[in-house]
Order: sequence, then structure tokens, then C-alpha cells
Amino acid sequence: MTRPTLIAAAALLTLGCAPQTKYTWGGYDEVLYAHYKAPQDHKAFVDALKTVIVQSEAHGNAVPPGCYAEYGYALLEEGQSADAVVFFGKERDKWPESRALMDKMVTYAQGKSNAHTVSQKPVPQDIVPSSGAQPLRAATASEGKTP
Amino acid sequence: MNRSLPIVAATVAFMLAACATTQRKSYAKLQAAHPRSILIVPVVNNTVDVDAPDYFLSTLPIPVAERGYYVFPVNLVGHVMENEGLSDAAMVHSADATRLCALFGADAVLFVTIERWDAKYMVITTQVTVEFSYALKDGKTGETLWVHHASMVYAPGSGGGGLIGAVVNAALTKAAPNYMPLARQANANTFAYPGPGLPAGPYLPEWQKDIAAQ
Repeated sequence: MTRPTLIAAAALLTLGCAPQTKYTWGGYDEVLYAHYKAPQDHKAFVDALKTVIVQSEAHGNAVPPGCYAEYGYALLEEGQSADAVVFFGKERDKWPESRALMDKMVTYAQGKSNAHTVSQKPVPQDIVPSSGAQPLRAATASEGKTP
Repeated sequence: MNRSLPIVAATVAFMLAACATTQRKSYAKLQAAHPRSILIVPVVNNTVDVDAPDYFLSTLPIPVAERGYYVFPVNLVGHVMENEGLSDAAMVHSADATRLCALFGADAVLFVTIERWDAKYMVITTQVTVEFSYALKDGKTGETLWVHHASMVYAPGSGGGGLIGAVVNAALTKAAPNYMPLARQANANTFAYPGPGLPAGPYLPEWQKDIAAQ
């Protein structure tokens, strides 16, 4: 078999079993990848997440799970607590499975907004009920065994 | 050089097999638990590449969400865990699944470990290998609902290739191999159903129908 034929056959095969995507992702995985590769470009991360949401809404599709929340958290890291609350709310309304977490994030972001802090890194200590925090840490005793 | 041929052949066979129904697994526990939401926690790294876990984490939400499950925002989740003192992925993986799920209100938690993420530079070609193990655990009982092990090997010029090959190959010319296309393909094979993967979640019309038909 010639090389072009082989490539064509492989392409056909790939198409044959590749499903249509359910959501319009707008390169969400690439956005996360770029963020992990260059976390210092935080503004670029915020803008890219916004683009994912805008594109998805423009297609008339549901914004994929996690995208509103991720954008909300990125805004929170930028110090835009009030906007963060809006997007945590959108995630919660769109995806009922996120309710418990988004309620905590909204409370946390509102707390930050009221406190008028200028801290760069949020520290959501209220995310765990105080009763739950200790046993969880106690159960994780494998510190320091990373390769 | 010929020693890599069986590996390539095996990989191609594996890729082909992923399209068809293979590897009978018991889905009884997963069917009984019928999770709606999946928490993807930071990835454990058993390789020397320090960037691999974050890079690989970025490839996971899409294929899982495409199976019809709610997937928690991985970057937010990672930061919240860090703030809870769970900054190390190995710590997270050794934590009780039910407690992790309770923290986030998740029905199930997906633990992923990178076993291999390397490039072997040979005389003429470079062989790129990725290998992952996946485990989904129930948020209520902590029981393991589903496991899978996937590996992908790509060696340009050894007969393997296709679209992924072309991408990896192009990346190789820039000195460092691009693992991402291989990693994405491993995920695509892993989560496919029918196949070794996850039956439809609540946001797909086949929810609870495809698994019942098995």
C-alpha cells in the first residue's frame, strides 16, 4: 500500500469511530493546558475562558460543565469577586450537580467582596465544614512519597 | 530497530480494537451507583516528567463530560484542594473517596495515574510512550466502580502513524516530542462505550439504556 493510501485509510478509520462532540468546547483543553504551561499569564487565561463561554453561547449550545465555574474562579483570582459570584451562580443554575460546591464558592467570594481585601490568592478556608476537615487530613498519611 | 515492530503492531491493534467492542467488564456496580457527576482530582505522576500531571489533567474533562456526566472544574478543584492542605496528588489519591466526594458534592471520583510519559531517542527514530491507569470510585460507598489501563506508543517511520502520527511527528522536529495527541487518543479509547469506557451519563439520551442493553 502506498503511503497516501495508508494515510487516507487511517483518516477514514478515525472518522469512522470519532463521535460528534456533544458540546462546543472552543479549545477548553488547550486553554487549561496553556494555563498550566504558563500560569503567570493569568490575564490570558481569563480572556481565553471568556472566549470559550462566548463561543459556546453563540452556537446556542449549553456552556459545557465546569466552564462558568472555572471562569468565575479565574475572575476571583483577579480580585473581581462580584463578577465571580455571577458566574458561580450561572454554573449552579445550569448544572444542579454543582450546587453544593457553587454555594460554598458564592459564600466565599461574597465574603471576600465584603472584606475589600486585596489579597492575590484566595484561601477558601470555609470550604469544608470544620467537622470534616480533620478526619480527611488524618486519612492521608502518604506525604513525601512522590517520585 | 525491528524490536519496536511488535510494539507498534500491538498499538495499532489496540487502536483498532478501541473502535470495536472489546474487553468485557462488569458494569454492575457502576450501573447500581449511576453517578451523575464526576470529580476529577489531580493526577499522580509515576514518571520523571514534572509537567506531565498538569498537562495530562487538561485533557481529562472533555472526554468525561462528552460521556454525559457533570465534570467538576479541574483547575478550581485543584486550588481548593491545595487550600485544604491536599497539595500533593498522592495524598489526594490516598484519601477516602467518600470524603473527597463529600467535600465537593460529587457522586464519584476519578483517580488517574501516569505510569509512563517518555521519549526514547533511538538512532533513526524517537519512540514516544504514554501509559495511564484510571479508577472511578463511588462517592457513597468508596467502592471501585470502573478501572482501565491504557498505553499508547508512537514511533515515527516504523509504519505506525495516521493522523496522530503526523501530529507527533511534526512536533518531533522541534526537538521535544508533543505528548498531547497521544494522551488525548489514550483518553478517547479509554472512555469509549461500547468499549472499555464509561456508559452514558445523565446528559446523554442513552443514559441507563446502553448499559441495560449489554
